[in-house]
Amino acid sequence: MYELENAKAARHRKIVNAFMWVVLLVLFIAFIFPFIMSVINAFKANTDINRFPLSLVGPRKGFIFDNFPTAMEKMNFWGVFGNSLIITVSATVLTLLFAGMCAFVVTRNNWVACRLIFALMIASMVIPFQVLMIPIVSIYGGTLNVLNHRLTLILMHTGFSVSMATFMYSGAIKTNIPLELEEAALIDGCTRWQTYWKVVYPLLGPTTATVAIIDAMAFWNDYLLPSLILTNKPLYTIPIATQIFYGSMGGSDMGCVLAALILAMLPILILYLVMQKYIVEGVTSGAVKG
Amino acid sequence: MRKLGFAIATLAVAAMTASPVLAATDLTVFNSKSEIQTQFEEEAAVYSEEKGVNMEVAMSNDPVITHMGTRYSSNNPYVLSMVDAKDIYSLTPEHGIDLADLEAAADTDYAIEIDGKVAALPFCIEARGVMYNKTAIEEITGEDFDPASVATLDDFKALLDKLVEGGMETPVAIMKEDWSLAAHYLAQWVEEQEDPEAYVQALCAGEGDIINNEKFNSLMDTFDVLMEYNYAKDSAVNADRNKSEDMLAWGDVAFMFGGNWDWSLIVQSESDCEMGMMPVPQNTEDGSNTKLVGGGSKYFFIDSSVSEEQQQAAKDFINWFAMDAEGQDFVSNTCALVSPYKSNTLDVSDPLSVSVKAYADAGNLIPNYNFFPDDHITKAGASMQKYLGGEIDRQGLADELTEYWKGATPIEH
Amino acid sequence: MKRNTMSYKIRQYLMFAGPATLLFCGVVVIPLIYGFYLTFTSWDGISKSKPFVGLTNYITAFGDKAFWVAMGRTLIYSAIAVILVNVVAFLLAYMVTRGIKGQNFFRAGFFIPNLIGGIVLGYVWKFVFNSAFVAIGENLNIGFLKNSWLGTPSGAMACMIIVAVWQYAGYMMLIYVAGFMSVSKSLIEAAQIDGCTQSQATWKVIVPLMRSSFVQCIFLTITRCFMVYDVNLTLTEGGPFNSSVMAAMHVYRTAFTERAFGTGQAEALILFIVCAIVGVTQVYIGRKGEVAA
Repeated sequence: MYELENAKAARHRKIVNAFMWVVLLVLFIAFIFPFIMSVINAFKANTDINRFPLSLVGPRKGFIFDNFPTAMEKMNFWGVFGNSLIITVSATVLTLLFAGMCAFVVTRNNWVACRLIFALMIASMVIPFQVLMIPIVSIYGGTLNVLNHRLTLILMHTGFSVSMATFMYSGAIKTNIPLELEEAALIDGCTRWQTYWKVVYPLLGPTTATVAIIDAMAFWNDYLLPSLILTNKPLYTIPIATQIFYGSMGGSDMGCVLAALILAMLPILILYLVMQKYIVEGVTSGAVKG
Repeated sequence: MRKLGFAIATLAVAAMTASPVLAATDLTVFNSKSEIQTQFEEEAAVYSEEKGVNMEVAMSNDPVITHMGTRYSSNNPYVLSMVDAKDIYSLTPEHGIDLADLEAAADTDYAIEIDGKVAALPFCIEARGVMYNKTAIEEITGEDFDPASVATLDDFKALLDKLVEGGMETPVAIMKEDWSLAAHYLAQWVEEQEDPEAYVQALCAGEGDIINNEKFNSLMDTFDVLMEYNYAKDSAVNADRNKSEDMLAWGDVAFMFGGNWDWSLIVQSESDCEMGMMPVPQNTEDGSNTKLVGGGSKYFFIDSSVSEEQQQAAKDFINWFAMDAEGQDFVSNTCALVSPYKSNTLDVSDPLSVSVKAYADAGNLIPNYNFFPDDHITKAGASMQKYLGGEIDRQGLADELTEYWKGATPIEH
Repeated sequence: MKRNTMSYKIRQYLMFAGPATLLFCGVVVIPLIYGFYLTFTSWDGISKSKPFVGLTNYITAFGDKAFWVAMGRTLIYSAIAVILVNVVAFLLAYMVTRGIKGQNFFRAGFFIPNLIGGIVLGYVWKFVFNSAFVAIGENLNIGFLKNSWLGTPSGAMACMIIVAVWQYAGYMMLIYVAGFMSVSKSLIEAAQIDGCTQSQATWKVIVPLMRSSFVQCIFLTITRCFMVYDVNLTLTEGGPFNSSVMAAMHVYRTAFTERAFGTGQAEALILFIVCAIVGVTQVYIGRKGEVAA
């Protein structure tokens, strides 16, 4: 009797899952439709892109590969790629370190400074960047004269992203880290610092992976801040370098735009696919709830 | 702890050492004409080598004023900047130097003078009008196309009907971009007034009487005809510029209002059709339908806060650009633009610029009015889009424009 | 070790939160204060002089009809987009945590839109709406696809919302997935042993425990939608006839196109305050009844 019901439940589950699989597939295709269009059209001449967006091979000029080498040459791809890489990696690592630490002290203590900084951080997430851009430029460029250094951009990226990362870490610490665990560590003679690194931080794996991906993505793609900080060509990042393909008046070199888009996306796509595994492992390794 | 500290230190050092120590750049140049950025950069590399300067050309897709604002706020101005005429009036009184002692200044009729000083020198001549695809027209009509034969709206309409009969169902494309509609097409109504300055004053005082203005009606009559034959009639406010340019290039449409800057897009279409530019057809006898609208475009000014050597390097560059054989080759052949300098007698290579040069050389350009208020493009542009989309009629357009101008302040000059 | 002395607290705070506080204040708090000062000047963004004008900019901002229209539009857009984004994201997260074949593949796929930045994304979608959809409509003779949706005010708004869902759903899905997975397996098993079906376990056990995920996601979508600019700029350019100009875009235009920097800055501060009130209220309500895990 019990087994029969179990079998029924299993069959039911199978049907539901199959249905969901179809739904997911349809949604998936809808989600990647713009990318399919981009990839198809990246191998066509501009006239074919503008007039025959759906055809796989351009009827007028045929299949061409020129967009890629042209785009790479015009944007100095490897140079700007290196800049983007250094900046993204450094800023992401710093954000993870600083935000996790900050969240720990802020979440576990009810001090005035903690509440104040947390409130400020939450509030800061709703500040339109336009409000800050001219002040930032006049303070750091006009007064301190530190623009046009990668380190400046790295620290600024970190400064902008710690607020949200702290917010996410704080949520994770609150819900996933049992206070008893920390107390036990303290009784064993750990300092707060050791407790954080040896007990708390390892348990924040999934959040770290999530924050890392989200911030790396944001840094990699950010246009406005780097365009203000790095105005010397040798320092350009990928998004600044691609702007050469957009006319300022609505007309653009679509072939190069799409090629550049794919070139800029590939590295981060690979990173994501690698990290994706890590997220799953981090979550399923059983470390979360002792 | 030690590990962490080490990691941070390593990162910091890596980031520090990765930023190259920049050698003093002698000549930084801002280029607001994004379509020639690649050519300009290549030329700069050659120029740097030859003249022993370090010339670097930068561009930005932000509004010019925004970009310049960030550079000034950070005490990092360009030595030489190439910006729109209207920006010259807001930038140079505080930031520019007098260019009167340049040889190039004597070589052009298009310099901008402010308070008796030569504030800026032009980069090129640009003009707007109706672009046509000669090949496509002649294929249908079977006869030579002479743009002078369609100077009046009646003749123009007759030709459009002929094209429709011949199988080109919708021979016109209209750009929906607000800058094209407001700053280029609509602006012409002010520019064709006998005294544009006085007319703008009247508009600001609410006395323009737009709906009864002869020029306004004449141009809008033509616009109505363009709208009637527009290929994107059903979604006119959303015509895609890239697509429209391509249709013109391949002769799917025969006419589009625009300017010689459109060549940078048309050329991407790699079609073999013969193209040209003609005045906006109008039923008028005052001769305005035989002229393009335009003049000097994109102006150079030199920053006053940089060192004298840098200023001198910038001056040398302008002189080279205007009068040296290589500089002339750069503007006329490499960039395919019309030079505003008299000593440059080279022919240009792009067909739209050929038309512009012909009209300019014959003195048939109606001058630009450069002092439209800063919000003219977005606000008047929105009104024109409504008209284009059939949301409002001519009376409604005139009312909106009257309303707009009442609170407007033209650029100080 | 004394845990209540001031110096202990300060040392602890600086050790853990010092770097974050320093950087955060450097790029956000200090520029914000300086920006606030600028709202009392009639600076044009370029000139060296910044004449003090008192409250004029705020009076102009409150009287700027176009600004409030844009603000109202932003509210409507945000409300619809926030609901749709979170519904879609939650359902996606639910479906990809059930152990379906290839769920990792789907997780990766739905996140892909986040791999490209706002500016490029707007261009790609403009191309899709203007060219691809129209071409499909013409080829298959589907009436409502033949004219680009971007051509009408309501269509442009719909396009903005579609792009928002497409852009953020995958991102929020990730947070919901983390939420789903952080709920202990043993809790669910316990619920099932107690006689819950799987869907009951989901709704009665997991969802209440995911409250912080909801708070986070809704907060993030609200703030992002409120401040939408990149996509607004490249997808609709505010058109047709300025009918899709959102608040941030209006601010940008006032400050930089019309060169009324002080007024733009004042409007930006108003936008910030409205957004902060909405966002913080949401977090406050959400956090109030949080279930301790």
